[in-house]
Amino acid sequence: MAAPPPAPGPTASRLRRTLVAGALSLVMITATACGGGGGEPAAGAEAGPVTLRFYWWGSDSRHQYTQELIDKYQAANPGVTIEAEFSGFDDYWDRLATATAGGDAPDVMQQDTRYVAEYAERGALADLTEYMPGVIDTAQLDQPMLKTGRLDGKTYAIPTGVNAFALLANPKLFADTGVALPDDATWTWDQMVQLSEQISAAGGGQVFGVQDLGFNETSLEIFARQRGEELFNADGDVGFTRQTLVDWWTTMVALRDTGGTSPPPISVESQAGGVDGSLTAQNRAALGSWWTNQLPALSTATGQDMELLRWPGESPRAGMYLKPAMFWSISERSEHPEAAAKFIDYLINSPEAAELALSDRGLPINTALREQIVPKLKAADQRSAAFVEEITPSLADPPPLPPQGAGEVQRILQQLHEQVLFDQLSVDQAADQFMGELDAATG
Amino acid sequence: MTELSDETRTPAAVPAHPPPRSASPPAPARRRRWRLPQVGERKVAYLFLAPWFIGLALITIGPILGSLYLSFTDYSLLAPPEWTGLDNYERMVTDPRFYQSLQVTFVYVFVSVPLQLAFALALALALDKGLRGLAFYRSVYYLPSLLGASVAIAVLWRQMFGAEGLINAALENLGFTDLPGWVSDPDYALGTIIILNVWTFGSPMVIFLAGLRQIPQMYYEAAAIDGAGALRRFFSITLPLLSPIIFFNLVLQLIGSFQSFTQAFVISSGRGSPADSTLFYTLYLYLRGFGNFDMGYASALAWVLLLIVGVLTAANFLVSRFWVFYGDD
Repeated sequence: MAAPPPAPGPTASRLRRTLVAGALSLVMITATACGGGGGEPAAGAEAGPVTLRFYWWGSDSRHQYTQELIDKYQAANPGVTIEAEFSGFDDYWDRLATATAGGDAPDVMQQDTRYVAEYAERGALADLTEYMPGVIDTAQLDQPMLKTGRLDGKTYAIPTGVNAFALLANPKLFADTGVALPDDATWTWDQMVQLSEQISAAGGGQVFGVQDLGFNETSLEIFARQRGEELFNADGDVGFTRQTLVDWWTTMVALRDTGGTSPPPISVESQAGGVDGSLTAQNRAALGSWWTNQLPALSTATGQDMELLRWPGESPRAGMYLKPAMFWSISERSEHPEAAAKFIDYLINSPEAAELALSDRGLPINTALREQIVPKLKAADQRSAAFVEEITPSLADPPPLPPQGAGEVQRILQQLHEQVLFDQLSVDQAADQFMGELDAATG
Repeated sequence: MTELSDETRTPAAVPAHPPPRSASPPAPARRRRWRLPQVGERKVAYLFLAPWFIGLALITIGPILGSLYLSFTDYSLLAPPEWTGLDNYERMVTDPRFYQSLQVTFVYVFVSVPLQLAFALALALALDKGLRGLAFYRSVYYLPSLLGASVAIAVLWRQMFGAEGLINAALENLGFTDLPGWVSDPDYALGTIIILNVWTFGSPMVIFLAGLRQIPQMYYEAAAIDGAGALRRFFSITLPLLSPIIFFNLVLQLIGSFQSFTQAFVISSGRGSPADSTLFYTLYLYLRGFGNFDMGYASALAWVLLLIVGVLTAANFLVSRFWVFYGDD
C-alpha cells in the first residue's frame, strides 16, 4: 500500500524527479500554510489599500460591538481594511508578547496600565506625539487622564476611558443583617472593620462583611495615597514607606481575625473564581472592591441594585483616583502608523463609536461624548457614571504610569498576602519581603 | 507477516547467501514490481521522510537549540536578546522561588509516581483475574487518564475540593468538622493535585495489563504444584517478569510528572496559589517567561529541568540493572 505506484516501466531517474517535485510541493504547502497568519505583502507607502490589524481583549458583547464599529469605519473609509483579532484578558498578553517577539504585532492594540511601560520602554510602541493633535484630536479629551499614557514626555498610549476602583455594596445584605450603610464621605478604616464584623456575625458563616481586600495592589495604592504617598512615584521607584505597608496589612489581618472577611480558604477561592465566582457575585459579601465599570455585571449577577461607595479613609485626603480603563496603542513596527492613528481618533472621538461602546471601555475620555452617552446608559451604568461624576472633584490626579515590572506587583502581593492569611508569615516579615521583591521586580 | 520480515532481512542476508537471492524463482516478478535500484530506494525513502525531518528540524530541534542560546541572554520577548553569559544560571542559585518550585515538583513527582504505579498495578492484577466484562472495566478505569489532564476536570476538581465544595459537604454529613479547603489551603493544595494525578492511573494500568498477559501461565501452574501461595507467586513470578514493564512505566511517568502543568495551572489560578504551595517548576517557568517577560531566564530554567530529568532517567537506567529482569539473561 505504501509502496510507490507500479508505473509501467518508468526509469529510476524520472520517477525520482517526480518524487522530488512531489515532496517539494508538499513542503511548500506546509510552509505556506504555516506562514499564512503572518506577513501580508507590504503595501507601499504610497496611498493605496491599507490593511490594519487590530487586537483587543474582552467579553463577547465587546467583540460584537467592536466588529460592528470596524464595519462602519471600513464603509466610511474605502481602501482601509481592518483585520480583527481578539481574545480573553489572560491569553491576550501571551499572544501579544509572542506576536511582538515575532515582529508580527498588530498595528492597533488595546493596552493596560500595567504593561504600557513594559512595551514602550522596549521600543515596541510607536510614539503618538507627532499625530497629536494633527491626526488624533485632543481638544475634548480629559487632559489629566491623557497624561497617564505619557512616558518621558512622549505619548505611547491613549486612554479609552475612565474608571475608578471603589467599594461595591450589596444593599440587600446590609438590610438582611440589620446594618446601616455607612456614610462613605467620612468613614474610617476602623469603622469599616467594625461594620464588617457586625455583618459577618449576623451572616452566620454564609454572608461576610467584606470580600478580602488584599488581592489587588490598587487597594494598597489607595491606602498609601490617603497618606500622601504613591505606589510608584514619577521616577518609577517605590513610593510608599514600609510603615504604610505594615499598617495596610495589619488592617487586612484585623478583618480576617474579627471575621469581617471570609475564612482564608474561602477568600482564596473567591479570588480564583473571577467575577462570577466571587463572594460579591454570589450575594455573600456585603462589600467588595471592584472597578466602577464592573457594577452592571455584578448587579446582574446578584440581582441587586448594587451601590458604589468611596473607600474608607477618604477624608481628609482622597486616595481614590480615576484610572484609565485601558489604552489604545500603535505598534512601533506598524507600516501605516498614520492610518492607525486615524483609526484611534475615530475610536475615541466619533459619536458613532461612543454610542456603540457606551461605557464598556470606561466612561469615554472625550468629555463631550461622555456627557452625550450618559443618558443612553442602562440604569446600572448610569449609577456608575454618576458615582464617577460625584467623586471626581475631590480626587487628585491619577498616578503616573508604573515602571517596567509593574505587572509583577500584583502577583507578588497575592502570594505574600496568602502567606499572611495562612499565618506562614507575620505582617512584618511579609512587608520586608514585599519591599525587597518589589525593588527586584521593577529595579 | 513472515514474508514481510523475510523481505526486510534480505539486505543483511545478501553477503552470506548470494545464490538464493538470484535463484529464487518467484522473486524476479516481485522484485520488478516492488523494488527499485538500491541507491534510488534509499533516496526515495528519505524523500518521503523529508516532511517529517524538516518538521523535526524546524519545529523541534530548532527551537530547542534556540532556547539554549536564549538561556545565555537577557530576552524580554519585546526587544532583541542580549548576551549575558551565565547570568541567568547564576541568578537561579539565589532565587527563592526557584527552590520553592523545585521542592514542590520533587514532592509531587516522588509521591505521586510511586502511588500511581502501585495503584495501577493493583488494579491491573485485579482485572487480570479473568473478570467478566473486562473490556468494560478497562475502559472505565482508563477514562480518568484521558480526562485527567484536561482543563475541565481541573476546574471541576477545584469546585469539588473547595472549602464549601461537594467533598466537604459529604464529609460534614459524616460528622467531620473544621474541614480545610483542599485546594485553597497551602497545607493541602499540593496533596489534592497529587491525588488528581494518581487518579489518572489508566495508561500505566493498561500497559501493566498487557504485561501480565505476557507472563506464561505455566509458571504459575508449576509454582502452584510446588506449593507456592498467592503472595509467593506474586513476588517470585509476577514481579520479576513484570519488572521491565514497571521500569518502562516508571521512566515514562517520571518524565511526564516533571512536565505536568495543566492541573497546577488551573487549580492554582495560574500562579501557584495558595502561597506558592503549588508552584510547579513548569508553572514557574511559564510565569517567568510570559508573566515577567523574562524569556532568557525561563529558557535557562527549561534547560535545568532537562538536566534534572536527564540525570534522573540515567540514574533510573543504571539502577534498573539491579532489579529489572529481562528473562533472557
